[in-house]
Amino acid sequence: MIIKKPSIFIYANEPDAAVVKEICAGIEEEGVFFELNEMENTNLKELAWNAANDSMLGSGIGIRGTYIAMQMRGIEKNRPVESYQNPDKEQCRKLGANSARAIKKLPFK
Amino acid sequence: MSYIAGIDIGNSTTEVCVGEAAADGSIHFLTSASCPTTGTKGTVSNTHGVKAALKQAMSKIGRDVEDISLIRLNEAAPVIGDTAMETLTETIITDSSMIGHNPSTPAGAGQAVGEILLIENISRGVPGIPYIVAAPASYSYEEIAAILNQSGDSLDITGVILQADEAVLVKNRLHKKVPIIDEVARIDKLPGGVPAAIEVALPGQTIRMLSNPYGIATLLDLNAEETRTVTPIAKSLIGKRSAVVLKTPGGNVRENVLPAGEIYLDAEHSASVNLDEGAEKIMQVVSDAGIIRDITGQPETNVGNMFARIKKGMSELDGTANGDIHITDILAVDTLAPVLISGALAGETCLEKAVGIAAMVKTQKLPMRQIAEKLRLELDTDVKVAGVEAVMASLGALTTPGTKLPLAILDMGGGSTDAAVISEEGKVVITHQAGAGELVSMLIETELGLGDRHIAEQIKKYPLAKVESLFHVRVENGQMTFIDESIDPRFYGRVVLLSEEGFIRIEKDIPMEKIAQVRRDAKRKVFVTNAFRALQKVAPDQDLKNISNVVLVGGSAEDFEIPEMLMEEFSNYRIVCGRGNIRGQEGPRNAVATGLVLSYVGEKQ
Ligand SMILES: Nc1ncnc2c1ncn2[C@@H]1O[C@H](COP(=O)(O)OP(=O)(O)OP(=O)(O)O)[C@@H](O)[C@H]1O
Ligand SMILES: [Mg+2]
Repeated sequence: MIIKKPSIFIYANEPDAAVVKEICAGIEEEGVFFELNEMENTNLKELAWNAANDSMLGSGIGIRGTYIAMQMRGIEKNRPVESYQNPDKEQCRKLGANSARAIKKLPFK
Repeated sequence: MSYIAGIDIGNSTTEVCVGEAAADGSIHFLTSASCPTTGTKGTVSNTHGVKAALKQAMSKIGRDVEDISLIRLNEAAPVIGDTAMETLTETIITDSSMIGHNPSTPAGAGQAVGEILLIENISRGVPGIPYIVAAPASYSYEEIAAILNQSGDSLDITGVILQADEAVLVKNRLHKKVPIIDEVARIDKLPGGVPAAIEVALPGQTIRMLSNPYGIATLLDLNAEETRTVTPIAKSLIGKRSAVVLKTPGGNVRENVLPAGEIYLDAEHSASVNLDEGAEKIMQVVSDAGIIRDITGQPETNVGNMFARIKKGMSELDGTANGDIHITDILAVDTLAPVLISGALAGETCLEKAVGIAAMVKTQKLPMRQIAEKLRLELDTDVKVAGVEAVMASLGALTTPGTKLPLAILDMGGGSTDAAVISEEGKVVITHQAGAGELVSMLIETELGLGDRHIAEQIKKYPLAKVESLFHVRVENGQMTFIDESIDPRFYGRVVLLSEEGFIRIEKDIPMEKIAQVRRDAKRKVFVTNAFRALQKVAPDQDLKNISNVVLVGGSAEDFEIPEMLMEEFSNYRIVCGRGNIRGQEGPRNAVATGLVLSYVGEKQ
């Protein structure tokens, strides 16, 4: 039997390595687990929305190159909670932290 | 048929009521409106607000202001409210002796002791000496972890202090787990080579060792004398989730008591009292003084400056000479204000003792006739100054269904709380007390450290809720409210105010329970105290038992909880008390304006 830890899902298409690293650091500092999967889908909003819906915790992140978006289960596909184009390091950290804070029921940074 | 307008100019609000006088002398009420008062009450700049309110009222019935044939203006009481706040203590850290704050993600619960070692000096560390390593944000979490892991074999590293929010990231990469505190902004101020104790609380708890003088003594090996001097440090760390205490020779936290000064009462029974004796004592002295002619403060002290400032502000506004302005009543309230500690490393604040004071300033008779003249010229209608404010308020209050004479009213406004009792014969006794809605807002602003009067005012007016998911909120009374449209993520996890126009976000991270408690206490301190003070003054034989009905009017009577608080307090005296409902439809507003229209009939007869 495979037991999976409840995690934030990150669905990524050709993700930028630096972006991935900082997002993951943001999540890790908040003490939540995450799982990174490479996807064929190239639509950022769909990546984030699917990730949130597939995650047991209802929180997901989409990455398409250097475009990133955060979603929560129950939110419309077209309205990601937070998103950036070509984010800087702080924005990546913040988005990662917020995906974790969504689960912890803490206000977003 | 003629239209008659009653106009009430208050410190905060200008209210109008328009009625039609029939030939038989009966009055038919048509419309009403209110606008913020423009300028200081009783000055000619009030006319802007008056005209705006009249226009608003008349447009509701599709008429013009020109259709009004008579304007009746209240003889506004020449009392103006003002508020001030003075802190009595200040906390100063000398030689950066502590850090105490609540980073959201520190790591590795527990305590540790060691000498502060800056990470750039790690190569100079001596084996066998315990160290607490401090690292600025210019080092990445990977670099810090690598350096610590490398040195860990030779050096005894017991704890870490970080500038960046990376405690968990560093901890996850360390071979040996130690407590780590992060988000220390002024890490550059940490002195190297100084013995220090560090503590991170368990999840959901607050620190135990460093908030206890003996805990600090145990960790830093202090003698009895040194333990005594660290007591203010322990006190200021109570409730924190993480802390560092440094053992610097001259390092200390000092609580300065500021010279507060005497308050002098020139009164029937003149007296004086020191501000730092506290609100209760001050109010006792005020009450024993009888009729007060003027209140001043000891020159060159906080309280002296405070009263001087209030008087100066008033004389500048209405052009009266300073000597003609008298403070005839004050309401003092004890409070605590979170103040940034000078010398703090991580933006720590300390609750300082403070006193909030509302003052009742009596000026010369207000130039109501000048306002009347200006209105007459500008509107080309008859304008009359008619009737005393409190009497008019009583007349208006009597239109509340279920009231009869004798009746007491409590007019709870912005600057003052006024009371009046009308006997069965129509005899009226009135009083004005310092302190009302403005003081409540000021207390909320200071106690929560908001630094913003507007949000304090909103906290006063609206119930609180916590946004617990994107689809529901928990209201402060425990009730859950579910929302169909998903809530804007900006509100997620936040404490919000439930206003008519939707959520208002409170920026500062303060627990909902704490905000609610401060809000209720502020209202109680001001309005319960003042309701008793005011009614006692006007009650027959100064005995509350001689009052059977109290109608609450004025802006603060619209408050969602103040009327209930007063109702509860007064029920002990078997007094029926409730929010007025002027003309059965206006709620607690418009009493004076309505009274002015009603009194027209009486005058004609
Ligand atoms: N809905 C509300 N809940 C609580 N307080 C309110 C509400 N609406 C207005 N207030 C308060 O009422 C006060 C103003 O009251 P009001 O308009 O009766 O004053 P005023 O008569 O013009 O002033 P004063 O009595 O000092 O001359 C303000 O402090 C305001 O914050
Ligand atoms: Mg952290």
